[in-house]
Amino acid sequence: MPIYTRFCALLSKISLMLAVVGLIVLIACVQYQVVGRYIFNDTPTWAEALALLLVLYITALGVAVGVRDAGHIGMDSIVSLLPERFRLKLEIVIHLLVGLFGALMVQSGWLWTTLKWNDKKPMLSVPSGLDFLPLVIAGVLIILFSIEHIIALLQGKEVIPAWN
Amino acid sequence: MELTVLGLTFAALLLIGVPVAFAVGLASVATIVVAGLPVAVVFQKMVGGMQVFSFLAIPFFIFAGELMLHGGIADRIVRLANSLVGHVRGGLGMSNVVGCTLFGGVAGSPLADVSAMGSVMIPLMKKEGYDADYAVNVTTHASLVGALMPTSHNIILFTLATAGLASVSVLGMIMACLIPALILTLLNLAAAYGVAFKRGYPTHGKFAGWVEVARSFAVALPGLLIIAIILVGILSGVFTATESAATAVLWALIVTTVVYRSLSWKDFIKSCAKACKTTGVVLLLIGISSAFGYFLALYDVPQRTGELMSAITQTPWMIFLMINLMLFLLGTFLDMAPTLLICTPVFLPIAQQYGMDPTQFGVMILINCALGLNTPPVGTTQFVGCAIAGISVSEVMKSIWPFYGALLAALMLVTYIPAVSLWLPNMIMGK
Repeated sequence: MPIYTRFCALLSKISLMLAVVGLIVLIACVQYQVVGRYIFNDTPTWAEALALLLVLYITALGVAVGVRDAGHIGMDSIVSLLPERFRLKLEIVIHLLVGLFGALMVQSGWLWTTLKWNDKKPMLSVPSGLDFLPLVIAGVLIILFSIEHIIALLQGKEVIPAWN
Repeated sequence: MELTVLGLTFAALLLIGVPVAFAVGLASVATIVVAGLPVAVVFQKMVGGMQVFSFLAIPFFIFAGELMLHGGIADRIVRLANSLVGHVRGGLGMSNVVGCTLFGGVAGSPLADVSAMGSVMIPLMKKEGYDADYAVNVTTHASLVGALMPTSHNIILFTLATAGLASVSVLGMIMACLIPALILTLLNLAAAYGVAFKRGYPTHGKFAGWVEVARSFAVALPGLLIIAIILVGILSGVFTATESAATAVLWALIVTTVVYRSLSWKDFIKSCAKACKTTGVVLLLIGISSAFGYFLALYDVPQRTGELMSAITQTPWMIFLMINLMLFLLGTFLDMAPTLLICTPVFLPIAQQYGMDPTQFGVMILINCALGLNTPPVGTTQFVGCAIAGISVSEVMKSIWPFYGALLAALMLVTYIPAVSLWLPNMIMGK
């Protein structure tokens, strides 16, 4: 396996594993809120804020792995009608467009992250900029995975999901 | 001008096969560039659209559904359904409808439903001499009820899509879907029986007796309790919708690992990973649709569409029919989530203007989108059903009409009789 594919596979596996950990922490967070309210008689305000922040990171990682594993919903009925030659070109264009959106995510995400870094989130004493960092993470991963798909298409290979 | 750019780029990107979420995102970016505003605004709206607490219920419902899918509850539900209706003519078809409905209540997703029940029931029906097209149609149509069940993440999706347009409560929507779900199940049973009768399918043995019913119910009960946890939890005010969804995950884990002991560590990790990926796909769509929705509102799309429609007719029932037709057309191409998120901001204000309650609209759009899941070119549940049975979509389409008829009848009842959806929530929540 070429080194770039191996790198992407590893990256995708780590991303998905982190997302799984995040999901479990997220559930614990919301459960803790219930426990806090009924048993300790004290609703932890940070739990909701942390849950809302966490879900952004889970989504970012899930979105990126979805791009690599071709999990996003699209229409392929018209593309599949085209002759092989055009279809290949069109598929490259699709990956380029997805990659372009990834690049825009990085650019705008970085802008907001730095802009809001000195503001603190109301319930959680962390920078508000952390809300926008997932855009940068997702964007970078999407670009890397789109490039991997384009290379695979040009070489007539397929990208195989790295983990589960 | 901006509106033309928005519409044309979205349509073009979708047509060449760009994934829906990215098509929506790129169309929004193109529009904002033409409008001369900074691109970063799109992403601000996107993150903003994802910062709602009730939104967290979506990953939880998806996760609970995945756990139930891998956790061996399907077999127990099949046994219960068989003991109830297995002795009627076309028995396995009838059991299939009952089983899919019950499992739909547990998993809350037509796709999980058809994957779990389909892989048990379709091979079984084929072995017993039922035609493959019948097996697929029964399963795929009965599975659609899952979208209307209390565990359905699509209900949450709809309430999110109404933000800023109308106040629709999650509890109200869950309540409003119950009677239509029951009606749809009865109609599905009727269709399954009718076709079985016409094709002369056999009856299998006798009624196994109430003891067997009670026994199989006891075995299936821990799994089915998940519906009760959500309903009672939200109704009594003990949980918010989000907390009840998180509790549903916990319950699903307990049932599959401690009670049934059928979820292996490998299955657990697989469910987690799948839930994360699905969450990414659905949540990105929600975030980016809120940017798209912002443009739709900014350029008065609902108003213009409304004016266009009122130029054709002013009669409410014609307007509702037209809305249904357009939703159906889009639904055949798009999956459930994008249709809900993109169409709600456009059509809900129009329906409201002609006197439809937003909650009623919600039930209507859910059933309508469900119809699209069983319609080519993009019919997700139908594809899965066909794949399990090993037959082509066109074979299934030939005998789809009785089942389609059941679904259409349910859709019309919800569209034209407000009480079908609104009676129960009004009764309970006292309006």
